[in-house]
Amino acid sequence: MATSVFKSRRSAISGIAVTAVIGLFVLYPIFFLLQAALKQGDGTVEGSTGYGTGNFERLPNYSGIIWNTLEVSIVATLIAIIVGFLIAYILTRTNVPFRRGLEQLMAVPYYVTPLLGALAWSLLGEPHSGYINILWRALGGEGSIVNVTSAMGIAWVMALFEGSVAFVMISAVMQSIDPSLEEASQVIGAGRFSTMMRITLPLVAPGVLGALIYVFAEMLGSFSAALVLGTPSRFYVLTTAIYLMVTQYPPRIPLAAAMGVVLFAVMFLMTYLYRRMISGRSYVTVSGKAFRPRPVDVGGLRWVYLLLVGAYIFLAVVLPMLTLAYVSLQKLATALPSWSNFTFEHYRVALSQNAVRYAIFNSLELGVITATIGVALTGTISWLLHRTRLPGRAALEYISMFPQAVPRLVFAFGIMWAWLVLPVPVYGTIWLLLIAYLTVFLPLGVRTISSVLLQLDKTLDECGQVCGASWSQRLRTINIPLLRPGIMAAWMLLFIGSVRELGASILLVGPNSQVLTPAIVDAWNFSSSELTAAMALIQTLVVGIFIAIFTMLMRRRDLKG
Amino acid sequence: MQRQAQTQDQEVETAIEVRDLEIKYGAVAAVGPVSFSIPKGKQLTLLGPSGCGKSTTLRAVAGLEKPVAGVIRIGNRNMYSSAEHLNIPAEDRGLSMVFQSYAIWPHMTVYDNVAYGLKVRRKSREEIDAGVKRALALVQMQDYAARPASQLSGGQQQRVALARACAFSPEVLLFDEPLSNLDAKLRGDMRIELRELQRRLGVTSIYVTHDLEEALAMSDRIVVMNKGRIEQSGTPYEIYNYPRTAFVADFVGSANLIAGTVRTDVSARDGIVIETAGGELVHGTTHGRKPGPRATLSVRTVHLQLHAERPAGDRNVWPVTVARSIFLGDLSEIHVDWAGRQLIIRRSALDKIHEGQQVFLSVDPSRCVLLEDDA
Repeated sequence: MATSVFKSRRSAISGIAVTAVIGLFVLYPIFFLLQAALKQGDGTVEGSTGYGTGNFERLPNYSGIIWNTLEVSIVATLIAIIVGFLIAYILTRTNVPFRRGLEQLMAVPYYVTPLLGALAWSLLGEPHSGYINILWRALGGEGSIVNVTSAMGIAWVMALFEGSVAFVMISAVMQSIDPSLEEASQVIGAGRFSTMMRITLPLVAPGVLGALIYVFAEMLGSFSAALVLGTPSRFYVLTTAIYLMVTQYPPRIPLAAAMGVVLFAVMFLMTYLYRRMISGRSYVTVSGKAFRPRPVDVGGLRWVYLLLVGAYIFLAVVLPMLTLAYVSLQKLATALPSWSNFTFEHYRVALSQNAVRYAIFNSLELGVITATIGVALTGTISWLLHRTRLPGRAALEYISMFPQAVPRLVFAFGIMWAWLVLPVPVYGTIWLLLIAYLTVFLPLGVRTISSVLLQLDKTLDECGQVCGASWSQRLRTINIPLLRPGIMAAWMLLFIGSVRELGASILLVGPNSQVLTPAIVDAWNFSSSELTAAMALIQTLVVGIFIAIFTMLMRRRDLKG
Repeated sequence: MQRQAQTQDQEVETAIEVRDLEIKYGAVAAVGPVSFSIPKGKQLTLLGPSGCGKSTTLRAVAGLEKPVAGVIRIGNRNMYSSAEHLNIPAEDRGLSMVFQSYAIWPHMTVYDNVAYGLKVRRKSREEIDAGVKRALALVQMQDYAARPASQLSGGQQQRVALARACAFSPEVLLFDEPLSNLDAKLRGDMRIELRELQRRLGVTSIYVTHDLEEALAMSDRIVVMNKGRIEQSGTPYEIYNYPRTAFVADFVGSANLIAGTVRTDVSARDGIVIETAGGELVHGTTHGRKPGPRATLSVRTVHLQLHAERPAGDRNVWPVTVARSIFLGDLSEIHVDWAGRQLIIRRSALDKIHEGQQVFLSVDPSRCVLLEDDA
């Protein structure tokens, strides 16, 4: 009798508890970031002279870095959006050959990651030792034809990898347009070009603008390409400058924090704009439904389009991977291959070094734990958001999407600072990395599971309830089986994400908590490029094998069930 | 002794009772207060336009929606009571429900879907097997037991949903617009089948629909709802022939509403006479309702008669002009001009009526029913 009261009260309390815990994990580091940014002096206990805005007042001295950040981000965003838009148009609207296959290939750059791309492109396009430039000079050219260490070069490498993100976002918008809207225009007498200008473009414009803002925010917070390509020539953007200020001696924590706050503020604004755009979309005709518009026959142009898409995939995936593979198999990497130079030595070294093996093991362990806890956590949050009338749901959603607006490096900085002062002994262990990963991947997990949950008819659960099944019975027999695709996708994304994460890891690793991606960057800076290439490929391979095993296990279970 | 018998009688008789039920979404009142009750083994239909609160009321009975006030009693047990702070969760109410979306679990076979209610009740393998067989036979789906549920047509899904709802022999069955996703022909067949099934199983049921024919054909009792409140409740015969309000008259079939001032001087005992703005006297029946100074009569479109010649008698006969004639197949719809007002008549007579023709309109005074709106 009183059980129902108890039950509803219990669920309200557990909901509030989840919100509070998530809030603590997300907002506590931000609080420390702000606090550090407002500290005067050098930030140490002895040198601290109270609080003030002095750090922000000093920022104009670093206008060069701010300008670099804007230049790289704007150029990279424009390239990424143009590439993404063109390929989205080609793959959703034209009869380009091998459309299906190309569409699947477009997801690959996302998995290659900007770090691997940056390493490979550094080997290819460095002005003096880059292979392209060496070949250029060997062919009788002067100087260098590409320079990836310049602002434009960094932007180019970043754009290559963010291009596939832009593609996914823009093609989703293009597919959501009812083709009958265009057909209506043609029936009324408008030509193909006129229809494109008057109907198609206005309909996709809000979606493209949304993608533009999203990609720009990502670019502002991106770290690895600028770190690998810019640091050697002392070309800094905000993220790499923050990293330098935190790790150099003496560290300049308050100034780094102030830069982080500025970056966070701009990204927060961008994310806010983006969310407002996608939520307040007044184009009713652009429904959530995916249409398969009839592709336009573009005649001989289709081969040109194929070449364009192929070139993108070549530059973003094939060439970087081949370069890394080639370099990793050379005793001493040179532009021109010879058999006597061929060796497996770097792989042997990489796998026999205790530090590297330890880092691989740590990365995989962290990946599995992050993915498993993360799925349970984000699954619970998604459920609370979409299936309950929990008071404070809006706050919970806001908090769990919040890390999206914070550059991961800056977040890690806040986490480092926040957990350093707590008497919990997690600092310098892999558990601090776990906390960081769980926090920064919250939006990814919640978004992935929510999208499946929202497609699931609520009455499927209600029907089980009316049939007499308890909450846990329904969870086991109905909800988890039906949510499996979303849960699996989220698990994979979180696993891949945490094994690959650089920005959130690099400040938090310690001698006893080394993980693979920062170890690759270390090898790049302090060992040879050949060893680095081998390690990068080992990482890709290990993740690949893991995904394959996981998929196979899941598929076998599917067949059995 | 007598009193005891009476209370016992009541306990057996009333299977579901809803009293002063109120449901709110945040600050918005969605339903109520509404009250109705259903005798054991009978079918009650909640009828109304979309958004009238009928589904919400049903979901509150099921336990899927939490009301803010009132009592829901099933059998002799309170399921919800605001006074007692009691709200039994849906899974413990022991009833069953067929959903508008069917809610067939796509990851299970037909057998597993139907067996679900028995399995969660921890029945033995034999009992489950027998129960599923019986339920599938009831809807003629025996041959589909091993089929994955994702490979069923809409009509088949509907049948499986029904079998699943019946399989664990619940005493109360709830239907949330179960036929609205079927095509018209299939809907007609299923309507009869559902009615048969409900009678054969002797279950008490609540049925929600916006379809008038469905409600009239299937129910022992109809509750017409509008804007979260009950407009009228009664037998299908009562609801159709004696609508209480203009809303019911219009929603349950089609009716002409004739308003005027009451002429008490010429009204008879059970009858009523009103004078329209144009000065015509219309005789009608009060059906025991008390008129105010002004009154509205409701006349079903099929009860108005048209004649080429003036019919005998002087009550409720007027000359009219035909404005439009629309052939609809089973019926023809005739719009006539009655001294500047328009009336609609539906008839199946063979004689052709031309637009612009002068004809005579008559109506039986017992078909002109006083509404309570103006009272």
